[in-house]
Amino acid sequence: MSDLTKDEIRAMGKAVGLDIQDPELTEVMYSLNALLESLDAINPPGLNDVEPLPIILPPA
Amino acid sequence: MNKSGLPFLSASDLSRLIQSKEVSPIEATEAYLDRIESEDFRFHSYLTVMRGQALADATQAELDISSGNHRGPMHGVPVAVKDQFWSNGVRSTGGSRILADFVPDEDATVITNLRNAGAVVLGKTNMTEFAITGFSHRFSTPRNPWDIDTYTGGSSSGSGAATAAYLCATSLGEDTGGSIRFPATWCGLVGLRPSWGLVSRYGVMRGVWSMDTVGPISRTVEDAAITLGAIAGHDSKDPYSSRASVPDYRQSLGGDLNGLKIGVITEFMESDLVEPKVRQVVTDSFASLRELGATVEEVSVPLSMDAGVASAVLLSVEPALAQQAWLKEHIQDYGHDVRNLLLTGSLIPAQAYYKAQQLRTMLRQQVLDSLEKYDVLVLPTAGKGAQPRVEDPPITSKESSSRLAFLFTRMFNLASCPAMSIPCGFDDRNMPVGLQLGTRPGAEETLFKVAHAYEQATTWHTVRPPGMESL
Repeated sequence: MSDLTKDEIRAMGKAVGLDIQDPELTEVMYSLNALLESLDAINPPGLNDVEPLPIILPPA
Repeated sequence: MNKSGLPFLSASDLSRLIQSKEVSPIEATEAYLDRIESEDFRFHSYLTVMRGQALADATQAELDISSGNHRGPMHGVPVAVKDQFWSNGVRSTGGSRILADFVPDEDATVITNLRNAGAVVLGKTNMTEFAITGFSHRFSTPRNPWDIDTYTGGSSSGSGAATAAYLCATSLGEDTGGSIRFPATWCGLVGLRPSWGLVSRYGVMRGVWSMDTVGPISRTVEDAAITLGAIAGHDSKDPYSSRASVPDYRQSLGGDLNGLKIGVITEFMESDLVEPKVRQVVTDSFASLRELGATVEEVSVPLSMDAGVASAVLLSVEPALAQQAWLKEHIQDYGHDVRNLLLTGSLIPAQAYYKAQQLRTMLRQQVLDSLEKYDVLVLPTAGKGAQPRVEDPPITSKESSSRLAFLFTRMFNLASCPAMSIPCGFDDRNMPVGLQLGTRPGAEETLFKVAHAYEQATTWHTVRPPGMESL
């Protein structure tokens, strides 16, 4: 996957009501690209069939 | 016993002396308050010391005990609590400038439970900002008593420093991604993240609702057992809290480990993120566990090394959502590290969040499958010992954006499992190393049994930080 640019990061921020300017903009670009790249690289077999369950309830 | 020596007792030994009326809760509380006043300028472990209330609570404890109303092992024992928990009438900042003047009008349930058990709350401990990064402090950075030029680990950094520096008998931390076990390992302490739901989250400033847990940071396994016993249990204010009865965890202490099966997670032991000396020290602990009667074998948990990435997504997105109003109105009041994390978390696509939850579900199943075969899983708590304090450096590349890859705690948070870090030796710089043990949800007694047997067979828990050896 290609990295998001600063302009794209700024636009994504606007979409959620955040006006992100430098120096934060550059750092967010590095952080978000690093995280998305790491996540993109993890693809165990069967992942798409998993129904995500955030918790298992504690013992009654 | 000389009053100035009281802070150096374990919480359990102090408790026994209080119960037998050889030591009064007032003496013990005054001894800790004196020590905080004279020593904490070096460690920065407390944000607020509650001298007046602590002495009033100690006086009440003394009255109760002298009239035959002893409430249990925490009665009269001085405790420190993380500033992430609401305290009625006491500033509760969550380590943030945004909440610098926040004074709740009720206690978090964990504090109510401590008080009901008769514990004396000495004060609120320092922590990273909103407990959502491992490093960023907005007031001052706690110092590691083993070397004040190194960091304690976080986010429960002040609870780690206070406990290791004998500025409380035991303490409470909160662990969403490792925030109890991280300071425990770097400060040479016992830290327990309980099963999710065993301890109420009411009045606990939120990180990730499905991973937040409150637990003890203590100097011994028995201390952790009595501390957990005081705070665990169902709370009608936390609908997901467990309705199971809370055992006396001290009953699980003692005996050998015959018949127990322990799995060593190979992915972590073979990782380049583990320094050679840490690997050696942790490997040595397996021999001790075998001598105690346990079967120790290697086990693979294939997704275990991906826990950091999956949890990083959750630890970014959920706090960003919870704090979106503050983020828009008070962005400059956040520290650099947390500001970056929350902005990043605000932009993570829904697909990425969903994928992280899918990975979590798969990883949890792998962990639970392993725990069908093994009673306990073991691994290093962190790949290296305490590192020099770094004051929030700028992020200058994708590579520099991840600073906690060496921390191996998050697998158990994702899996909702209890996990404990216990001291198991020292690294090349004589900084403490932690052995991490994890088990099935609700099986804290197994953790206590294994940890206590190992502790009693070794001497790591008896070694004190430099300068405190003869106190």
